[in-house]
Order: sequence, then structure tokens, then C-alpha cells
Amino acid sequence: MAVDQENFVHLTRPLAPTLLGFGAGSAPLTVNIQPQSVFSIIDHAVRRDINGSNSNRVIGALVGTRSEDGSEVEVRSAFAIPHVETDDQVEVDVDYQKNMLALTLKAAPREQLLGWYTTSHELNSFSALIQNFFASPETGTFPHPAVHLTISSDAGSAISTKTYVSAPVTVVSERAADTCLFIEVPHKLLIADSDRSALSTVSSAAHTEARAAPVVSDIENLAQSLEVVSDLLERVSGFVGEVLDEERDGSHALGQYLMNALSLAPKVSNLQIENDFNSHIQDVLMVSYLANTIRTQIDLSQRLATATIVGFGGEAGEKKEGEEGEKKEGREGGGGGRGRGGKRGGRGGGRGGNQQREPREPRENGE
Amino acid sequence: MADVQKDVPFKSAQVEALVVIKIVKHCSASFPTTATGSLVGMDNDGVLEITNAFPFPTVDVANTDGHQNDASSLAAAAPRAKANIAYQNEMIKHLKEVNVDANNVGWYTSATMGNFVSLNFIENQYHYQRDNDKTVALVHDVSRSSQGALSLRAFRLSPEFMAAYKEGKFTTESLQKSKLSFKDILVEVPVIVHDSHLLTTFLHQMPTLPETAEVPLPTSLNDISRDPARLPANPSFDALDLSIDPFLEKTCDLLLDSIEAHYTDLNNHQYYQRQLTREQFKITQWQTKRKAENAARVAAKQAPLPEDEWQRLFKLPQEPSRLEGMLNARQVEQYSKQVDGFTAAITSKMFAVRGNLLPE
Repeated sequence: MAVDQENFVHLTRPLAPTLLGFGAGSAPLTVNIQPQSVFSIIDHAVRRDINGSNSNRVIGALVGTRSEDGSEVEVRSAFAIPHVETDDQVEVDVDYQKNMLALTLKAAPREQLLGWYTTSHELNSFSALIQNFFASPETGTFPHPAVHLTISSDAGSAISTKTYVSAPVTVVSERAADTCLFIEVPHKLLIADSDRSALSTVSSAAHTEARAAPVVSDIENLAQSLEVVSDLLERVSGFVGEVLDEERDGSHALGQYLMNALSLAPKVSNLQIENDFNSHIQDVLMVSYLANTIRTQIDLSQRLATATIVGFGGEAGEKKEGEEGEKKEGREGGGGGRGRGGKRGGRGGGRGGNQQREPREPRENGE
Repeated sequence: MADVQKDVPFKSAQVEALVVIKIVKHCSASFPTTATGSLVGMDNDGVLEITNAFPFPTVDVANTDGHQNDASSLAAAAPRAKANIAYQNEMIKHLKEVNVDANNVGWYTSATMGNFVSLNFIENQYHYQRDNDKTVALVHDVSRSSQGALSLRAFRLSPEFMAAYKEGKFTTESLQKSKLSFKDILVEVPVIVHDSHLLTTFLHQMPTLPETAEVPLPTSLNDISRDPARLPANPSFDALDLSIDPFLEKTCDLLLDSIEAHYTDLNNHQYYQRQLTREQFKITQWQTKRKAENAARVAAKQAPLPEDEWQRLFKLPQEPSRLEGMLNARQVEQYSKQVDGFTAAITSKMFAVRGNLLPE
């Protein structure tokens, strides 16, 4: 995967004098990145100003959660910060960062500032300056280290990511602000189960010419999945067939794996399967049938509610009321006959006082 | 539906991948509480491009000592809340500085099994659509998405409904005149997901289907379990999951709720009906009495009393709004279509399972 590293050497960072006594300062750190923050950063990279600044990178802040002991951080979102970088100076809109952070945290109160990102792998003295800003006690993540995420965003090449934390190193005190030691830390892209359906749709769009795809319905999605699975099965059985025909050497490991997989098939008697299958499918179809019946009933009741009955003028409103009531009760009763009886009784009681009104008559006939 | 579509100011909603993932993340993080947020983007030649999204501030449930439902209803009403409008304007102002499209194009909400059609939803969308015709409501169904295919739909109110809602009159008479039915409340807009070039590059680095070329054979079982095949994100194999009963059950529950709501609505109308007939009966009585009196007075050569005084004496009850009933009908339609969808998928899966277990 694009951002995923499995083997990693943890380097202990030199301790800053202010950090003495904080265990978290030098403990190994793992960074988990949620896809939406990567998407945000990429979007920001696409929307960068090409005129205002002569640097090609953009910066922004990372927001997310930190585990209790500070050894693991999860980057949940990111927001862009305007900045101008020239050959000899860098300007970051500090006010903007402060306001935006407040706005973001308002919507996600459990999250906090974690660090910052930029869209090039280059680390220079400006990086150090910004890093120190984000790690400082007043405006940054102190006492926890600020995380620096770099994403390469060059057109035409693969996108790679790196994460760093920093330690102050300096010999001259006046250079302290723009010097620091970046130490790379491991990171991985965290894809939650809930993200997968979204990623699936998004990546289906990535495989088309126009980079766009409609949201497909469940059944189309199922068809696609089935096609792929059957292709894969085809491939496996092709392989097995070739081994059996002695066209190629088999692999013990694969054989064993396949045996294990096949032995997972449940041993149930045919009769039982047939029974279960029939009863379940009947249930499912029943639910579907009932749901549609309800829909038709409600549709009908709505139609009757606003139907104009020719010839009764002002009384039309009344009439449909009565019928709507019948519809309803008919359904509640679970079907035809029983519901009908109930409703007649019900109406008789409800209307005791108004039998003399003429418009009622045609309604009775109309039924 | 088809002819309504013509009046719509845009044909489809093009949702940027960033927006999709942000919405999905926000909605699933706050599930089962409803989550709402704002959308920004721009209208481009009949296509509404939605390029960014941000959530609305949540209300701290602990402070308001409410339970889930309170948080949900607060969140559902969030798009209309004054504080959130200010928040939204502030956020858009900030986003503008980093070259994000600075137009509000609607809002999004989460839903469970399609239960989003409610007064709240209508009011929110009305609130947005009143100021700007080119706005849309995106609905992400968390429960349905967990079953495989992403469920993201875009809705807006039909112009006819907007006009009717503006007047606030949903009486039988007005509905008869406008021929507005529950099917015309919402117009669904097709949703298209779009990736930027750079994002496409990134997505191509995600796992894809196993290569067709020869792969080195594993030497032991451990090799396989240590390095399991990475499944591609698309097409997702989650769709092959067989368990559907919980979804059907949930939908049935919701359907029953709808029937309940329908019943309440009906009772209201019947009550109104009885009230109306009682009043009318009284009026008729009064009129007959007055007529008899007048006849007596005429006979006694006195001036007759006015016969239209009943208009002052009696007050006809107000007809309850039909809107609730219409929304409920729309909701039921939504549920039953959903059940149809489930049924279609599960029957095919079940036949597949039977075919596998009982070879011919």
C-alpha cells in the first residue's frame, strides 16, 4: 500500500531540556492515517496557488486523536493553511491556523492538533521553523511531539508519504528557532470497515477514463463482485487442473491451503438444506410482498385523500376521509374479510350523530 | 418524475471523492446518532460539483443530559440552527482563502435504512433551497453501506412542493388544486463520484486484483497466512455477505413505525371530521331554529332576524395539515423499494448457495 511500512527501526530522539521528565518525549511513536486526511491533503495540493508563491508545496495542519500514553496518534482530518514561501523567508498565516483549528475542533471536540503536513519530501530550514512553531508550547502540541507528514505530489510519479517527529539540535542559541532534527517514524494507512464501501466507489471511478463513476445499486455491485469471484475461482481451478494433468509442478502449501478451505463446507443433509432454503426464501419473499402491499395501500389512501369526487362538491373532503379510514383499518386487520367487518362497526359508532346528512348516502352505495 | 427533472436547474450532482470519504467518515463515526454537515462547491454547466464538505458542530450530549434521541434530533435540526449558519459562513470564508469553492451548495445527513424522509429533512432543504435554488441534500445511508455498495443519494425539493410549502397550506383543497402528491415532494438527482488526477494516482497504488502473470509459489502454509492476498477496494467482496435478516428485520420495524404514524395521522383527520360534522350539525340546527323563529316573526308581522349570524357564533375547526401523511407515504415507498432491492440480491445469493451445496 502507498503508505504502509512494516519493518521499522525506532531511533530515540535526543531529549530536549524542557522535555526531561516526560516519558512521552522519547517513546516510540506510530502514526495512523485515515484516508480522509490523505484525500484532503491531495485536494489541497491540487488547489494550490501557482502564482502567489514560488514554492511548489502547500502546508496544512493535521488534526486527530492521540492515545493515552501518547505512543500512537491517529490523523483524522487535515485543513489547509495559506503560506507564502520565497527564497529567504516563509510566511504562515498564524491567525488563520488558530481560527480554523477552533472551527474544526468545534465540530469534533475530541480531536486535537497533531502536527502539520506539506506536499513535498524536501526538508529545509523553513520546515524546521514551521515544525518548531507546531511543536511549541503556546501554539502547538507540546508536551507531545508534533508530527510532520510529507506527501510527494509530483505529477506523473507515485505518491509516497513519510512521517517525522523532531528533536531540537543546535549549538548556537540564536539558530534554535530554525533548526531541528527530523526523525522518521513509522506510519500506516488505516482503513476502517465503514470506509470500504466509499473507497470501493471512489476507486471504481479511478479506473475509468473520465475519472467519474455513478453510484451503483446493490444489485449491480453484487453482479460485479460475482464476476470477479468467478474469475478468481476459474483461475484457481485452472491451476489445479494443470497440476493434475502434470503440466506444471504443484505446491504442497497451496494444496494444503485449498484443502483447508474446502473442508470448511458444512456437512448438512440435502433434505435439510432444501428445507432451510425454502423456508428462508419464503420468509424473504413474504416480507417483500407485504412491504409492497403496504406501499400500495398507503399510495391508495393518499390518492383517495386528495381525489375529487365529481358531484359532491364541498363534501368531497368528507368522503375520502371515511374511505381512508377503511383502507387503514382493512390493512391493520391483516387482509380482506376480517378488516372489513371491523371497519364497518367502527364507522357506525364514530358517525352516530350525522346520519341525516345526504352526501353520506352515495358513499354507502359507492363502496 | 421525468418531467419534473426538466425544471431542475442541474442534471446531476458530481461529488468529489474527498466529499464522499468525509461524509462517510463523519456519518459512521457518529452512528447511530444522526450527523449533518454542509457542502460547498459550484454549479458548472448543469452539473452541480460538490468539492468539499465539513461537519456541523456537535452538541455535547453530556451537557444537555439528554439521551441518543435528543442528540439525533438536535443534529437533524442543525442545518437550520442560527449558530450553525454563522459557523457555516465562517468556515466558508476560511475555506475561500485556500482556494476551495466558496459557495454553499447544500447539506448532507446520515440515515439508517432509508429513514430520512421527515419534516426535519424537508425544512432543512427548504431552508437551503429558498435562498439558493442550486442546492442539494446528500443522504448517506450508513446501515446500507455497511452491507456492500455505498448508498449515497442526492435529493432536492420539487418546485411545486417549494411553492406549496411556502404557502404552508396542505389542506385537502389546496392539494386537490395543485395536484401535488407524495411522489412529487422529492426529486432524486443522479450522483456521480469524481476523482482528481492526483487522487487517481494515489488510488492506483491501492491493492488491485492479483496479477495475471506467474506468481512465485508459497513454500509453506505459514507463508500464505503471513502474507494474505490483499483484496482490492473495488469491486468489494463485502457485497457477497449472506446475512440479510437483520436488515430485513430493521426495515420491517421501520415499516411498522410508519404504519403507526399513518394511523395517528388518520385518527387526527377522523377527529377533525367528527368535529366538523358536529359543528355543521349545530349550525344546521341553529339555522332551522332561526328560520322557524323568523317564520313566527313574519307571522307576527315583526322584522325577521338576520340569518347569517351563525358565521360569528360557530367556528369551524382547522383542518390538520396533510403534509405529515404525505411524507409518511413517501417514506413507506422508500422502504418498500429498499426491501425489493434486498430481496433481489438475497434471492440470487441464496440460489447460489443452494447450487453450491446441492450440486445437480
